Amino acid sequence: MIHQNINVALIGNPNVGKTSVFNQLTGLNQQVGNYPGITVEKKIGFCKLPHNIKANILDLPGTYSLNASSIDENVVIELLLNKNDKLYPDVALVVTDVENLKRNLLLFTQIKDLEIPTILVINMADRMESKGISLDIPYLEEQLKTKIALISSRKSQGIEELKNLIVTYKSISAEPCLNASIIDKEYFNNLQKAFPDQLLYKLWLVITQDVNFLNLERKEIQGPFTKSHTELKRLQQQETIKRYQFINDVLKVGLAVDSSVAKDFRSKLDRVLTHKFWGYIIFFVILFVIFQSIFDWSSVPMDFIDSTFATLSTMAAEHLPEGILTDLISQGIIPGIGGILIFIPQIAFLFLFISILEESGYMSRVVFIMDKIMRRFGLSGKSVVPLISGTACAIPAIMATRNIENWKERLITILVTPFTTCSARLPVYAIIIALVIPNHRVLGFLNLQGLTLMLLYLLGFGMAIFSAYVLNKVMKISGKTFFVVEMPNYKLPLFKNVAINVIEKTKAFISGAGKIILAISIILWFLASYGPGEKFKNAETIISTQANNHSLSKTEINNRIAAFKLENSYIGIMGKTIEPVISPLGYDWKIGIAIISSFAAREVFVGTLATIYSVGGTDNETTIKNKMESEIHPITGAKIFNFASGISLLLFYAFALQCASTLAITKKETNSWKWPLGQLIFMSSFAYITALIAFQILK
Amino acid sequence: MFQEIIAFLALGIAVIYLFKKFILKKKKKDKDCGGGDCGCH
Repeated sequence: MIHQNINVALIGNPNVGKTSVFNQLTGLNQQVGNYPGITVEKKIGFCKLPHNIKANILDLPGTYSLNASSIDENVVIELLLNKNDKLYPDVALVVTDVENLKRNLLLFTQIKDLEIPTILVINMADRMESKGISLDIPYLEEQLKTKIALISSRKSQGIEELKNLIVTYKSISAEPCLNASIIDKEYFNNLQKAFPDQLLYKLWLVITQDVNFLNLERKEIQGPFTKSHTELKRLQQQETIKRYQFINDVLKVGLAVDSSVAKDFRSKLDRVLTHKFWGYIIFFVILFVIFQSIFDWSSVPMDFIDSTFATLSTMAAEHLPEGILTDLISQGIIPGIGGILIFIPQIAFLFLFISILEESGYMSRVVFIMDKIMRRFGLSGKSVVPLISGTACAIPAIMATRNIENWKERLITILVTPFTTCSARLPVYAIIIALVIPNHRVLGFLNLQGLTLMLLYLLGFGMAIFSAYVLNKVMKISGKTFFVVEMPNYKLPLFKNVAINVIEKTKAFISGAGKIILAISIILWFLASYGPGEKFKNAETIISTQANNHSLSKTEINNRIAAFKLENSYIGIMGKTIEPVISPLGYDWKIGIAIISSFAAREVFVGTLATIYSVGGTDNETTIKNKMESEIHPITGAKIFNFASGISLLLFYAFALQCASTLAITKKETNSWKWPLGQLIFMSSFAYITALIAFQILK
Repeated sequence: MFQEIIAFLALGIAVIYLFKKFILKKKKKDKDCGGGDCGCH
């Protein structure tokens, strides 16, 4: 049996359901990576087609046309121009939205003119009836010289037919829709004469686009045919006009819309959700419900995971042969890993809500209403996307600033994005809130813990906007970029898409932080279990002598030995050294160590404390939360995690740049150490001062 | 003795992993960005 592998490229405007089609074709057979040398996400999936054909499905970044203005769009053009690329498509699927066919067809005609076999996938076909839309498919196929698949990725309709169509790709016409020479006959004829073996539209893209062309010598083509920037823009506009003329002519016959049938549900809902007053109220109510639910729903699975790891740790200590490895496993590795896995429910719920908001089309409305606020603070609407996506992680959010053309606006967005509350802060917030904020309900429904979490998210966003405002005044931005946001139709979120998103994001959270936490837990355990000097060596003798003077039980003596050893271990000495700096904030040396180690990744904070408390802790408490709760100050006897120190810690983590990867990506994106170091110094100083003031007032 | 070997081996792997992750980051070879503004300022 012969197996054949083909490459299929999924191309389309943003918000046409391209990712849904990708998920329908590939299921969970997906690989997410980056394009070489750049950090644009590359998604490849695998799909079995009829006749033993296997397809590599490449989900390309959404683009409105082949006139690239961002690095994401460059990726699309580079791939389509480079036949030597191993992912060069055998067939392109241009995904379109049945309600926005006219605009979506612009990209289709451009792809078609590159003479790649192209299938026109018309998505959301299930809405045709309610919108009064009818299509003359044979006519459209004839005029557009293609095959059309009418599908609904949300309702899984037409997917099998699409697969059957893909396998016939060899019979699909590669003939262009338009002859590029109609843009400017003289210029294009000369161009073709100079390069008779090259495709005319490809040559035109080489001249107008700033992309890498591995098989074409750019200078050779550009040199004799260089035109002024204005002239090139004029020709590009001419191209767009010609294309729309062609599309209008085709759709005049091929598409009919009975407006009396169409229901105006969308515009009615838009009027409320983007209202200048109610729009914000609704958004805050939704945020409120989300954060209440994150705390309410995840408490049971979190307690379960916490107690499971506590049991595992005890079992390992009791059943494995006595020795250093057993201690490492029971006191270092298991508590460290437990310290991160405990947050899976909250992370999953957070991404579940974010996915539902995105899938339903509501997130675009949020971006739209937030744009109005951003402009008042001197930022462009394009900054909204990085700031909102920063709730997941600052790294992709900073990368997402690449579509901001104005350099200063982009720089400000890069510098303030780390203030947005990322998912790595969630574990720290969750455990501290659970320790210092009472689990009370006010007015019967207002959970104080959920409310605190929501306030912290708003605080991060507010600080980002405020910093942008200050930077904007200092840096004096000249010129503005314009922001266009696509308002997709409202849809019921598709379970499959939401599930895939939640699974992928949660997996990335665990695998990204998990390895670092495991490594740090091992090192911390060693640093906490060994120490220099006589004090550490003779801990048992010293404490036993002291114990003789006070009548102490065996358990008390053991606890004192463990605490004494920890204080005189390597980590104890390091912690004691930095203690004078952090004690005004209400922290002891153990928290100091957790803060330093969490510079690798914020989530490490809880794992670090879990490891330290396991090595030097009492036998009575097993779960992480209980260990932290029972930790008392050796001199004052007060709880370490009290209201004042808790609020101080929350504020410290809200403002501090505790993330090595964010520094690295800022350096990469700004190509200088000046900005990331400035960012680090400002955020750390601000966090320190705020935490200091909070503790001193509240203590 | 056996436990000590494994434990210290784990320590060595952990140190090397973090060192490679945060200090010896692999430098990716960037493609030529061309003449225009590709964002690599």
